[in-house]
Amino acid sequence: MHHERRAVMLHSVFERAFHEQMRALAGWAIGIAVYCLLMVSVYPTIRDNTSITKLVDSYPKAFRQMFAIYDFGSGPGYLRGEIFSLVGPLLVVILAVLWGSDLIAGEEERGTIDILLANPVSRRRLCLEKWAAMTLGVAGVSAVFAVVLLAVGPAAELHVGVDPLIAATLATALLGIMFGTTALAISAGTGRRGLARGVTAALAVAAYLVSSLSGLVGWLGPVRPASPWYHALGVDPLANGLSWHPLVLVALTLALLVLSVTAFERRDLAVS
Amino acid sequence: MTRPVIELEHVTKHYRAGGGVDDVSLEVAAGDVFGFLGPNGAGKTTTIRLMLDLIRPDSGRISIFGLDPRADGIAVRRRLGYVPGDLVLYERLTVRELLSHFSYLRGGLPWGEIEELTERFDLELDRPIGALSKGNRQKVALVQALMGRPDLLVLDEPTSGLDPLVQRQVHEALREAASAGRTVFLSSHFLAEVEQVADRVGMIRAGRLTAVERVADLRSKSVHLVEVRVAGRLDAERFRQLPGVTSLDVVGQTVHLRIAGPLDPLVRELAHHDLEDLSIREPDLEEVFLEHFGATAPTEPRREAPTHAP
Repeated sequence: MHHERRAVMLHSVFERAFHEQMRALAGWAIGIAVYCLLMVSVYPTIRDNTSITKLVDSYPKAFRQMFAIYDFGSGPGYLRGEIFSLVGPLLVVILAVLWGSDLIAGEEERGTIDILLANPVSRRRLCLEKWAAMTLGVAGVSAVFAVVLLAVGPAAELHVGVDPLIAATLATALLGIMFGTTALAISAGTGRRGLARGVTAALAVAAYLVSSLSGLVGWLGPVRPASPWYHALGVDPLANGLSWHPLVLVALTLALLVLSVTAFERRDLAVS
Repeated sequence: MTRPVIELEHVTKHYRAGGGVDDVSLEVAAGDVFGFLGPNGAGKTTTIRLMLDLIRPDSGRISIFGLDPRADGIAVRRRLGYVPGDLVLYERLTVRELLSHFSYLRGGLPWGEIEELTERFDLELDRPIGALSKGNRQKVALVQALMGRPDLLVLDEPTSGLDPLVQRQVHEALREAASAGRTVFLSSHFLAEVEQVADRVGMIRAGRLTAVERVADLRSKSVHLVEVRVAGRLDAERFRQLPGVTSLDVVGQTVHLRIAGPLDPLVRELAHHDLEDLSIREPDLEEVFLEHFGATAPTEPRREAPTHAP
């Protein structure tokens, strides 16, 4: 390493938002990759072990429905149950909500926002650049699912197609971004990180439960289209491939983004 | 007449938790150094945050460079450098990263000029801000405010926590800015600081602007608090007769007195006594308020109503 005038020049708010999260993002990406590899590495054993598949088949229906564990004998069925029904999207949603709630309110709570917004930068631009960084980061981390599973899939004989895997990964990313933007909207409107995290977490849990239980609980059926989780993974992209459903997430995200900017532009910034 | 750089007209801002400012009107002309003086919690930071559109007034009008800080915020802030009162910087960035980031946000400033400033204030560019002392962080804030030579500097207690040597450096930089024709709005709770650098001073207390005066006028009214302990006979009447003495108190062999204007007569009187102890100090801000703007000045009937400069 030569220590010349290798000046690190940092520029836009977008760049800084990334710069600040670089290490955290790498951590999330590695964690997701390790989780995927672990799950895939035990797949052949589980598939070939009839007592496990039988045990799984004997679980109560409600339980299997809730965690999407059925059809462990096939690669897509296994991935759906072990990765894409809950743990995978949950990880991405957690990352997005932590980050989304921190974008504006974090600077406010730490007290850096005064000096930042004394620069000739509009609140709208600040909000949009930060959102773009979060969106790109969450998409990048989500991509690890597709990359790892596509890379090791053949060796583990998962027999899962490229299209369904990309569809599931895309749905996961969009779900995360949607909840990240929800957290942004609440925190940009209130300046309170904790509130944004709590409310968004509650919404995400509700969305998950509605999506996973609607096949089981009759009265939930009509509410199902209101659940973003349903439009992301409830429609089983691993089995059905790409569909129009994720567009609902895109529309929701854009609406929430507009709300974030409008709410942020209107209010007083908190004193640290 | 050119339009004032800063105009506040009947600006009111209340917080739900209490505090804020009440019907504040003031003007700062181009090229002026305006000292904004008041105790902590008086509304100095609120006023400044209103000017920067970080918060919005409940009522009243604010104009900076003749522009509305909300509608034309970008245009206003492009010409404005700011040091916040509760300074928090991005701990994990280096000084270089922070300054290049803000320089970019200001439309790209010549880096050479920024380095000149960091050298002047003796800052190491590649140290993380989290590793800097409070004084050095304050210097970073000052550099980012000064860079690009903005027409208006808004500084919220920029010297708090700095050692006297650095304070002097800061004051020097402010005087330079002023002599280059730039406008400075400096908040402080030190009368001495404001006296040193400002042309005019506004006093704020409990959210209300109680007075705006020229520093020169304020100085001529300056008051000293004197405490003398004498050995031997003490003739308090002789002190009471001195010109400018407004109150006097004798406790045993000690005289406490308050004297306005020149100290010369007092010093001459003291020469006739056998002094055991002597202290002469300037009153702190609170006492100045009591003295000049008589919220509750019990020892004194009162000379004149608070003056409101134009």
